[in-house]
Amino acid sequence: MTEPVETLAARPKSVGARVRRTEDPRLLAGQGRYVDDLAPPRLLHVAFRRSDMSHARIRGLDLEAARGAPGVVAVVAAADLEGLAKPLVAASRMASYHGTPLRPLAEGKVRFVGEPVVAVAAESRYLAEDALELVDIDFEPLGTVIDPEAAAAGDAPLLHEEIGTNVLVERRFRRGEPEAAFAAAAHRVGGSFRFRRKSPGAIENRACLAEWDAGRGALTLHSASGIPGIVRDALSEALDLPGHRLRVVAPDVGGSFGGKGSLYPEEILVSLLARRLGRPIKWTSDRLEDLTATSQAFDEIVEAEMALDAEGRVLALRAEVLGDTGAYSIYPWTAGLEPVQVVGFLPGPYRIEHYEAHVRAVATSKAPTGPYRGVGRPAAVFATERLMDLAARKLGLDPKEIRLRNFVRPEDFPYKIGSGIVWDRSGFTECLEAACARAGYPALREKQRQARAEGRWFGIGLASYAELTGIGSKISVAPGMPINTGTETAVVRIDSTGGITAAVGIASHGQGLETTLAQVVADELGARLEDIRIVQGDSDAVPNATGTYASRGAVLAGGAAILASRVVREKLLRAAGHLLEAAEADLEARDGRVTVAGTDRSMSFREIARAVYSEIGRIPHDKREELEATRLYDPYYGTTSSATHVATLEIDPETYRVTLGAYLVAEDCGRIINPMIVDGQVHGGVAQGVGAALYEEVVYDADGQNLTASLVDYLIPSAPEVPPMTVLHVEGELPATLGGFRGMGEGGTIGAPAAIANALSDALAPLGIGIDELPATPERLFRLIERAQQRQDNQSTGEER
Amino acid sequence: MKPAAFDYLAVESVEAALEALARAGGEAKIVAGGQSLVPMLNFRLLQPALLVDINRIPGLDFIAVEPARIRVGALTRHHRQETAPELREHLPVLSAAMAEVAHLAIRNRGTLGGSLSHADPAAELPMMALLLDAEIATASPSGGRRIAARDFFLGPLATGLAEDELLIEVAFARPAAGSGWAFEEVARRSGDFALAAAAVTLRLQDGRIAEPHVALTGVDETPLRAGAAEALLDGEAPGAELFAAAAEAVRRRVQPNTDLHASADYRRHLAGVLVRRTLEKAAAQAAGGRA
Repeated sequence: MTEPVETLAARPKSVGARVRRTEDPRLLAGQGRYVDDLAPPRLLHVAFRRSDMSHARIRGLDLEAARGAPGVVAVVAAADLEGLAKPLVAASRMASYHGTPLRPLAEGKVRFVGEPVVAVAAESRYLAEDALELVDIDFEPLGTVIDPEAAAAGDAPLLHEEIGTNVLVERRFRRGEPEAAFAAAAHRVGGSFRFRRKSPGAIENRACLAEWDAGRGALTLHSASGIPGIVRDALSEALDLPGHRLRVVAPDVGGSFGGKGSLYPEEILVSLLARRLGRPIKWTSDRLEDLTATSQAFDEIVEAEMALDAEGRVLALRAEVLGDTGAYSIYPWTAGLEPVQVVGFLPGPYRIEHYEAHVRAVATSKAPTGPYRGVGRPAAVFATERLMDLAARKLGLDPKEIRLRNFVRPEDFPYKIGSGIVWDRSGFTECLEAACARAGYPALREKQRQARAEGRWFGIGLASYAELTGIGSKISVAPGMPINTGTETAVVRIDSTGGITAAVGIASHGQGLETTLAQVVADELGARLEDIRIVQGDSDAVPNATGTYASRGAVLAGGAAILASRVVREKLLRAAGHLLEAAEADLEARDGRVTVAGTDRSMSFREIARAVYSEIGRIPHDKREELEATRLYDPYYGTTSSATHVATLEIDPETYRVTLGAYLVAEDCGRIINPMIVDGQVHGGVAQGVGAALYEEVVYDADGQNLTASLVDYLIPSAPEVPPMTVLHVEGELPATLGGFRGMGEGGTIGAPAAIANALSDALAPLGIGIDELPATPERLFRLIERAQQRQDNQSTGEER
Repeated sequence: MKPAAFDYLAVESVEAALEALARAGGEAKIVAGGQSLVPMLNFRLLQPALLVDINRIPGLDFIAVEPARIRVGALTRHHRQETAPELREHLPVLSAAMAEVAHLAIRNRGTLGGSLSHADPAAELPMMALLLDAEIATASPSGGRRIAARDFFLGPLATGLAEDELLIEVAFARPAAGSGWAFEEVARRSGDFALAAAAVTLRLQDGRIAEPHVALTGVDETPLRAGAAEALLDGEAPGAELFAAAAEAVRRRVQPNTDLHASADYRRHLAGVLVRRTLEKAAAQAAGGRA
């Protein structure tokens, strides 16, 4: 922690302003360029024949008829690709971990409905799909592996025989003496919390386009990806191509939510085929493919129990977590990514001395799970925040009060939670107090009393959480993953026309990074926002990159941009010192000009750049230096973002329809670069959390068929389902990161499912119903309510007797 | 999700459409708004040899108000049925139901004839045709016919239309002056197909219910008229017990399917709730109160 803590009083002028997103005019006017917009000459289109079996051996393939179909250039299966690429395996340092190979096409057997088996390259996508109908695959069914608990049992069919178990990761966490704490506890609460499987559902489906330049022996892959740097490094290994002959570009990308945050078989396949056929090849996912083969998420069973003393202080927490991770251990994050982080974040923002948890990640014959906005935290927060409310009810405390009694307090920071994560500092209490003050919490409770008197089911739900963002090199963002994701490089350059280009390794897929990073650079250089272009999503732009994930963009790329900009500013002022014949200490850079303090002598950046690069004799020949710098930033630790959500809702007591009312978020993300963008991220995150709480669920039947393979059946909330929101920014004490930034892109999705589950439980409390399964669909509410009403009927009948 | 190849023919008269249908011998599909057909083509659930586009046929997009009925052309878009002043005035229950059909972009394209021909068992328009005793007019090489709505819907996505027959207009019976009406729907999200929906028209004569019409959708193989409930209501004084009995009659009668979004039990439960609620509203309105 070498950087001094920056105070809010030192807020510079662009950072902190509600600057309109500079990328929006392009994106909103249809001038964005997405992968599917790219159409190089001689382009071929790929369509995949995907498995319609959940788990089966491929006994035989007949590709001849497809090869003879009109417009078809190539039809390939795994056997046709032998030796063309090394298989990739997501590695982990965890002792219990088993990796699974990532192959472009299924080899020997298929493990989920939607797994690519055969690829057809043709002159158009239509012709490619026509040929798919002529592909004949002889499958021998091997028994589905659908229920995660059954999958973990010894007698389940094995998805990967060579591993000898379906359990891909197993870990135990332990701190203190949980048994003794539970034995001594005045109160215990517990439950089994089920979070159902999600699909990311970005508006732009995945797409990739590979071009082989035979003359240079070079491959360019354009991919709708959030991690072009990781894709570049992985393909370099798989294809044995060094980085100077391999470029991966993520152009404009229409959302990811985690679904574009992993390496996919299709990216390897188009790269291989482009090199082999010598023609550009593109694959654009359709929605059916997206819902069946893009990484899914959040499929967990969390059995958890909490021990409390008589005053409602949490003494201990223990949990048994089973994660249904699907057929493969996703590259590069591994099968541990989601379930292990559930256990990592379960203690939340609370002081809990004793902790014990056991987690298993189990392979099933479903689409692989991967990163998804919030990773691990939404399921963890759902379980912990339900337990807090259950405890409050049991002890007769208000949900707000029990949280206040248990938060890590300002004097406790830095605080290490039972799983080992360290909260540097964050406004836990401040967020809860701010949220309740703005929401008018006592008045809401009064409103609830009135509603209940009228027979209406009105509920209020709180959820408080903490998350680790901007993670540096001390740990990987995915538990056990050996890839360093904790550094970021920025290249900042003023060219000979005075234009400023800042290149970073992250990749925007909707976050507004072109605006926020330009704000950061503008302040550090003293430049005008409109003179700055941010280059992102291009593996050629910086020597090393990974991408955008894990709420790291503002912290890591922002930090690297600050460091590089500071060096360029020094160089600029040195040059200006020569040109203006002034001491550097007397120069100030502002609004794209350097001025000698207290005088009217000044030069624009453009004039200085011209003098440096193009004009003879202006700068002493031995003093010329390029106005460019490359700097790397590593925050080493992460920093803690936190928030409290307050949800209100009403349930129709006859139809069980849920209507969300006013929704409030109070969050602490450190210094805010752009409040408008933070608001937007929170709004979008909450909307996604509404989906997780009430609507979205990937359903596989017993045969392993995906029943939610269209947007008619996979229900994403639309505008009318998203409640009106208020977002409060609590800028407490700033973290030690450069710039004082924290990550905040995922928080909305982390808090909303728990807040809504608590609000539903609060509305249904008179019936004795608690929500322990999400999404809380009308059908699930119907069954819970029918059972509860039967229970009440039986009781009153019993009393009458 | 690309359709198999098909021929496309845009016709400009009913005669040309019929001729094309006849020539294709069952291998053709009519396309109007395309809001249900095109996704089915993309999924390759349908692979017709020919699409006959009827959008350019003049004279099929109209609303004609007559003393006893209102005739609506097959090409009339949902959005027009939702917003047309003459429908809001004379068939407000229909306009109200149209607002629940999908989303505006879909309502701008979808047509009356298309929705009835497609016959989704959870759609609103087929229910309205039943509620309002519609008569469905068709054209065919043999001259066409008029089919009562109650004989038209045979099952999920199945109607009495022959392969060479084209739906051209629908005549809805106008409820008597002073009738009350109500429409209520429960769907997963705004614009989704109904888990259950109910619609009622009725009037009061000397304080007793007359001409009760009760229709439902989403709760059986086809939309339906609740005949048993109507018989219970007819001639009775409105009241909570009567409406509860009518709702119970509906619950006993319907045979909903269980699917991804709702069980048969939940749909049956909703059918009862919605019938009771729509009866209460319609009766209050007919009595002169504002529901």
